[in-house]
Amino acid sequence: MDIRQQKILAALENKDTSVYFKDALDNEMVLNMGPQHPATHGVLRLLIKLDGETVAACVPELGYLHRGYEKLAENCSYHEFIPHTDRLDYLSPLMNNTAYVLAVEKLLGIEAPKRAQYIRTIISEMARVSSHLLGIGALAMDVGALTVFTWTFREREKMYDIFELLTGARFTTSFTRVGGLAHDMTPDVISAVKAFFDQFPEKFNECITMLNTNRIFVERLDGVGRISKEKAIAMGMSGPNLRAVGVDCDLRKTQPYLIYNEIDFDIPVFNDGDCLSRYYVRLNEVKESVKIIRQCLEKMPAGPVHANEPKKVLPRKEQVYTKMEELIHDFMLINFGVNPPVGEVYHAVEASKGELGFYIQSRGEGHPWRLKIRSPSFMNLQSTSMLVEGGMISDIVAVLGSLDPVMGEADK
Amino acid sequence: MNDDKLLAKSEVIRVKDLTFLQRAYVFEILKGMFKAARQIFQPSFTIEYPEVRSERAASFRGRPVLVEENGVERCVACGLCARVCPALAIEVQAAPTELAKERYPEKFEINMTRCIFCGFCEEVCPEEAIIMSNEYELAFSSQQESIFGKDKLLKSAEIMKPRLDFLRDHR
Repeated sequence: MDIRQQKILAALENKDTSVYFKDALDNEMVLNMGPQHPATHGVLRLLIKLDGETVAACVPELGYLHRGYEKLAENCSYHEFIPHTDRLDYLSPLMNNTAYVLAVEKLLGIEAPKRAQYIRTIISEMARVSSHLLGIGALAMDVGALTVFTWTFREREKMYDIFELLTGARFTTSFTRVGGLAHDMTPDVISAVKAFFDQFPEKFNECITMLNTNRIFVERLDGVGRISKEKAIAMGMSGPNLRAVGVDCDLRKTQPYLIYNEIDFDIPVFNDGDCLSRYYVRLNEVKESVKIIRQCLEKMPAGPVHANEPKKVLPRKEQVYTKMEELIHDFMLINFGVNPPVGEVYHAVEASKGELGFYIQSRGEGHPWRLKIRSPSFMNLQSTSMLVEGGMISDIVAVLGSLDPVMGEADK
Repeated sequence: MNDDKLLAKSEVIRVKDLTFLQRAYVFEILKGMFKAARQIFQPSFTIEYPEVRSERAASFRGRPVLVEENGVERCVACGLCARVCPALAIEVQAAPTELAKERYPEKFEINMTRCIFCGFCEEVCPEEAIIMSNEYELAFSSQQESIFGKDKLLKSAEIMKPRLDFLRDHR
């Protein structure tokens, strides 16, 4: 105690007062990170308790982008909900479209034709590549490498041009339909996809060679945000984040959907569970996706892209104009919906962020009675506090960047 | 370069795996700067948007329009587009007419602040009357302006031919 404090104490001793001196540096500081922080990838808010620069505790607060899609679905017909799925994981809308219609098709007990399944696989993998490109670029930007971000964005932009050519919109694609697709993939789209993936590996390697041996990048990620296998499984992690802790779990292999069992590809798995492993899983997944797309383009059969189920699938426009029966079906399907049998169904796909599942409960009406979305980003974010506690405050952005959450999906 | 080599699995390079030169950083930074500087001589990837505009393909979904043939809209005011619209942007009021189609839309309004450009109205229309155009530049100064009535929605079939052909061929 210094002299000044002793004097104050002495002055107070005569009176019936007690004095308590608090050391300012003894305090822990509470910091709000987000919801407007650029490194939180959207509107995620982290409440952080800091001891100096070390994170003592962290509480993620979600829900800033909550739009109530699960409740909205209860008042939408199965067809009407397709545009809403674009807005879940807005970095890979085509993947969400596919996942949703697969769940509805499972409920209806129908299957899309082979060609439609091949096209769905191609667009899903393209969505994965575009999502991972952003994930890698944003992670690099978060730890300070801005150039790579613009390069991965350039590649993503080329893909978005293809999406626009294919679906009619860059972002809100709404491309898949129950029992098929909005329309077939035209030859010029196929050649555009081929041309893109011919030049892509070289450009992608240019991006990653900037990072892989960059000492600052490696040091920022190596050993940061480590999680054990048991904890990751207990927290419900999935997707690239789970494969980075050494769990060989990919729904494309374990529960093959679409045509993944006919395609030859590997699942990249890394064992350390830190940020660098998560980066390498994404990097290798992009390469695997390129292989998948090339095989699909080679094997893609000709044929229709709509299932022949007149009472469940929207009729072709040409027939609506000329035939009475199709016209009636058009009106019935839109006004009353597809009316699946009573029951419940869960279908999950391996989306770019992890296991994206749709759980639908039907009571035989045109709209779902309940639709639950199992969004991978939401589950992956549960482990945020575990990953950042004990680390430095500047590592939080690296951890979040490597988790690659999308708030549109986490908040639904 | 060989594609198989580019697509081969990359193994993790950790801090301990970095060579002395990579650890020294200065060579890596020079290499990186050289790669980045090479981009200066590449052709520009972006376009100067308001001055230069890229063409939109026939598959593009711009704002919805009503197809007009011989001065009359094709629409028969069945209201299917208003039913399917996920954003509830379309309002149709039907009235009888002397023409062969018997019904016409007395009032057809699309609230463009609600429209999400999903193209469902076009997909379900039994008369090929409402289709997506290639217009995407929409700006309003008031709410009233954003509600497009028939005056703004009607477009002749000749102008919309690329889209109509696309729909005939692919839908």
